[in-house]
Amino acid sequence: MPWYLYLALKQLFPTGKRFPFFTAISVLGVALGVALLVVSISVMGGFGREIRRMIVDTQGDVQIRAGGLINDPKALMRIVAKVPGVVGVTPFAEGVGMLEYDRKPVFPIIQGVDLTHVNDVIPLSRYIRVGSLDDLDDDTVILSSQLAYSIGAQIGGKVQISSPLLIEKLKSDEVFLPRELTVVGIFEIGHQQLDSNTVIVTLRRMQDLYGLGGAVHGLDVKITPGLDADEAARRINAVLPPAAGVEARSWIELNQQFLFVLQLEKNLIFILLIFIVVVAAFSVTSSLLISVVRKTREIGLLGALGGGSREVALCFCLQGLFIGVSGTLSGLALGFGFLACRNDVLRLFTWLTDSQEALERYYQFSRVPAYLAPGDLTMIIVCTIVISTLAGILPAWRAARLKPVEALRSE
Amino acid sequence: MSEVILEARGLHKTYLSGDRRLEVLRDVSLAVGRGESVSIRGESGSGKSTLLHLLAGLDQPDSGDVRWGGTADTGTARRAKFLGMVFQSFYLIPELNALENVLMAMRMQGRIGADERARAQAMLARVGLAGRAHHLPSHLSGGERQRVAVARALINSPQLILADEPTGNLDEKTGEAVIGLLLDLCAETQTALVLVTHNVAHAARTARALFMHDGVLRTAPISSVSEPPPLP
Repeated sequence: MPWYLYLALKQLFPTGKRFPFFTAISVLGVALGVALLVVSISVMGGFGREIRRMIVDTQGDVQIRAGGLINDPKALMRIVAKVPGVVGVTPFAEGVGMLEYDRKPVFPIIQGVDLTHVNDVIPLSRYIRVGSLDDLDDDTVILSSQLAYSIGAQIGGKVQISSPLLIEKLKSDEVFLPRELTVVGIFEIGHQQLDSNTVIVTLRRMQDLYGLGGAVHGLDVKITPGLDADEAARRINAVLPPAAGVEARSWIELNQQFLFVLQLEKNLIFILLIFIVVVAAFSVTSSLLISVVRKTREIGLLGALGGGSREVALCFCLQGLFIGVSGTLSGLALGFGFLACRNDVLRLFTWLTDSQEALERYYQFSRVPAYLAPGDLTMIIVCTIVISTLAGILPAWRAARLKPVEALRSE
Repeated sequence: MSEVILEARGLHKTYLSGDRRLEVLRDVSLAVGRGESVSIRGESGSGKSTLLHLLAGLDQPDSGDVRWGGTADTGTARRAKFLGMVFQSFYLIPELNALENVLMAMRMQGRIGADERARAQAMLARVGLAGRAHHLPSHLSGGERQRVAVARALINSPQLILADEPTGNLDEKTGEAVIGLLLDLCAETQTALVLVTHNVAHAARTARALFMHDGVLRTAPISSVSEPPPLP
């Protein structure tokens, strides 16, 4: 081991000292910064991933829509199903309606799903908490969990559903009676907006409510796992008949602005929190500068023993590097340790502040998701180690500039 | 004189202090042979330490030159092999124990292994610190610290030892013991020694005694070491 590396380690971890205070404080500063970065970026990443999963689970990987209605969905489905990489296609119709239960009206989004094909694309069954998707027919409905809770509807309850067609019919002096449907299931996706404001009916019932005839609003497409959704959309667009006036767009393209905002938020959090590491690095610089002043005569001695100024500089620079590496490792342990018990911490916090309901209502998730992408982890490690090493450069430069003869003479 | 280990010829050194030029060394010449011990005495500020730094290659003269073993190369790389230094304030590295401090001089030579460890242990035993090898400098007395410094200076088997008032921080008895040890070890290993000291008795124990006054180096016969030579 080169002497400067040995001395750098010895100055950080002196012989006979169980708890090197300076080193511990410096490492702790960096570790706290890294831990905060890991926790914040992981939680942001977790929320982002949950949202992406939810988008794909409710919209499919690719969505085909027309300017207006798709009048012959079956013909289009046959064409799309033959595209390489497509594993499922299902038509849908959606729109706002009025739902009334026990004189309590709400205005949810009504999703009409084709029971024959929906499970090929959207894993609805996975989200049914009470009842069964198998019980859904033209006279039944499945409610989202928070909506059912808010109106007090239960399995077997009767709800009245009507659509804007009711008003259209009234204009022409026709009567369009609300449809009475029986609740056969309650679903929960884990997203507050969807869980509080959605009902699912059969496609036929939705076509009836909106007067669509055989037309639909669009097709949801499922692709082979691992296949790029944009690439799949390109393949589908290549085979769609131009006369149909339809276009396939990937979930990424459909939610481009939303995903951009998500990424921007994560990047901003990273930039803000990396400043904690920068502040910790300044404290490392300050401590190492004090060390250079305190050890001026020792630095002179190293010169007298045959140590070059470059090696003396390396000795201090390496101390910054070691603090960076130790701080990063400790910070990763702290961060991942905290993440492992994040839901317990959240439960304790909400219990203490009596805020469980508010949390679910405003933050849309009852559990804290966490996901740290390998790229984000690499970025945290590299940035921290580079910043900490840079923190050692100024003290190293000061040490290298000391002439041995002047250092030995210093009082 | 036997083989010349250290030779300084016509050394001049001037420092600027504000507008004033301080002539610290004036035409200083010196030659030290293998195994020879030379003492330099003089008042504070007479230029002894400056001369020692020039001899060690830590500073450059304004004119004149220094040669080690007949070679003008007094650079950092050669310094570690050719000479060892002992200072008044010991300058031990506080984070390292006695053994590690001695080994540090060998590490800086790129040599470290079982043989080197054994050699360092033996050197510590030779200076009477076999039982204190794993003690930190803060747990050693002044005399013990200086003995560690002597062991460190000699561990690489240098040809020259430069000692700058090595007993300045020690009591008389301890200082006497350290000087005795230093002289004995240098004699045993045929290492040349240049000893800067204020102590007349210590100077008297060297083979040749010199006196420095106002930047000029003169011979001070052993019989008259207590009396500085008259100024010209």
